[in-house]
Amino acid sequence: MKNWSARFLTTALLVCSSLSTWAQEVEMADTLRAEGKIYVIVGIILIVLAGLFVYLFLLDRKVSRIEKSLNK
Amino acid sequence: MKTWLKITAIVLLVYVHTAGLLMDVPRLNILNETIRALYFHVPMWFGMVLLYLGSVYYSIKYLRNPSHELDVKAEAFAHVGTAFGVLGMITGMLWANYTWGSPWHGDPKQNGAAIALLVYLAYFVLRGSLDNPEQRARLSAVYNIFAFAAMIPLLFIIPRLTSSMHPGSGGNPGFNAYDLDSRMRWVFYPAVAGWFLVGLWISNLRLRFKLIQEKSSDTSI
Amino acid sequence: MKNILTLLRKEFILELRRKSVMAGLGLYLFSLTFICYITFSLRQQAINENTWAALFWLVILFSVVNSVAKSFIGERKGVFIYLYSVASAQQIILSKMIYNSLLAFLLSVAGYFLFAVFIYNPVTDQLLFMVLLLLVAAGFSVSLSLISGIASKANNSNVLMAVLSFPVVISILLMAVRTTGNVLNGMERAASSDELLNLLAINCIAGALAYILFPYIWRS
Repeated sequence: MKNWSARFLTTALLVCSSLSTWAQEVEMADTLRAEGKIYVIVGIILIVLAGLFVYLFLLDRKVSRIEKSLNK
Repeated sequence: MKTWLKITAIVLLVYVHTAGLLMDVPRLNILNETIRALYFHVPMWFGMVLLYLGSVYYSIKYLRNPSHELDVKAEAFAHVGTAFGVLGMITGMLWANYTWGSPWHGDPKQNGAAIALLVYLAYFVLRGSLDNPEQRARLSAVYNIFAFAAMIPLLFIIPRLTSSMHPGSGGNPGFNAYDLDSRMRWVFYPAVAGWFLVGLWISNLRLRFKLIQEKSSDTSI
Repeated sequence: MKNILTLLRKEFILELRRKSVMAGLGLYLFSLTFICYITFSLRQQAINENTWAALFWLVILFSVVNSVAKSFIGERKGVFIYLYSVASAQQIILSKMIYNSLLAFLLSVAGYFLFAVFIYNPVTDQLLFMVLLLLVAAGFSVSLSLISGIASKANNSNVLMAVLSFPVVISILLMAVRTTGNVLNGMERAASSDELLNLLAINCIAGALAYILFPYIWRS
């Protein structure tokens, strides 16, 4: 977990440094990144993914249980 | 399906969805921030093609050595592949609406993908209209192989011959000619692998579900 | 080899005996061309070359699909049993493919003639166009013969034939339209050689696959 946050920090730093060097040649969502609200989006997407996977796992378990009961 | 594969898929996709949004990407005109669609939209197409390939593989195996399970497997792969294709189509249309100005822009890649979907919809229609299960399995396997072979020029040759506005073809910005491309690959390939594994997982579930369904209807009779 | 020739002869004799079928196909082609002519009221305002190519290939596609579809659909049970007893599956599909290619080529030449009469004839390089017609006719009939075999086993075979065949022939159709565009725009022959080679490659792949896969359909 610590590794991850370190990675986020470095990427955030990278984004900030690129902000100053690249100037505003091409329009990107830089403000969103600067305000840190991008993490909100990342959080939302991760929650959705997690929900999807939990669902898949539960479905998988259910199918396995039925398989077992049928094979008896 | 092994549990470690499922966990790999989850880890890969969690990584992809964080790194894909947070990592630095090349700053390109027109594409702007939507270059990140590479991480989320393109894996759908790769997943579709890979799953269809799996379906064709099982169809070939079925013809060499007929067994009911292989037929169900081929059907499950084609089914999940179609789901991926529909998702890719919708996301692609959303992106094209903002980048090219209209959801359907006559792009050869988009057309090819639409035809790929048509082929597999026809495959399901064929399966639906044959009653004898053994005949259904054999004929649909034949159609699966033949249609996939007929699709290859459409997906891989014609888009290269035609000029296209799609990123990554012709002189348009993709992720090949730019210095940050190698860094994008580090997110893109895990994304493809992760989604493909999820596709395998779902088709595995579908396969088992079908087998259970048939078994239970057998025992009840 | 001898068997194939016998089968081919049988096809021709049967076809000549059932004149109404041939007449039906010819009439179908004629009506399609005439509909194009009427709906666009073409004599007054000439269409450009690309529209000509698209219309032409659509007409050819529809009539070829109809003519090839009947190679397995609509045959009586007795014919199947007869074929089964005299020849192997490979011989049957080969003879069907050769026969259908000839028929499709004949149809497309007839269609070309009708288009020249009713609409106009923008083609300058006749030889190249004939080669293209031959390649496309062969491609259509090779893939459609197999599809017709599949569709004939199902209940609603006519609908199924259309649904199954269009995705498969689209790549051939696209190549044909592109090459025709080249021919009509007066490009040199070298410009179309890529497309022609592609067409040939598609034909070879489709032919080989049909040859390998057909026995699996035929068995039932």
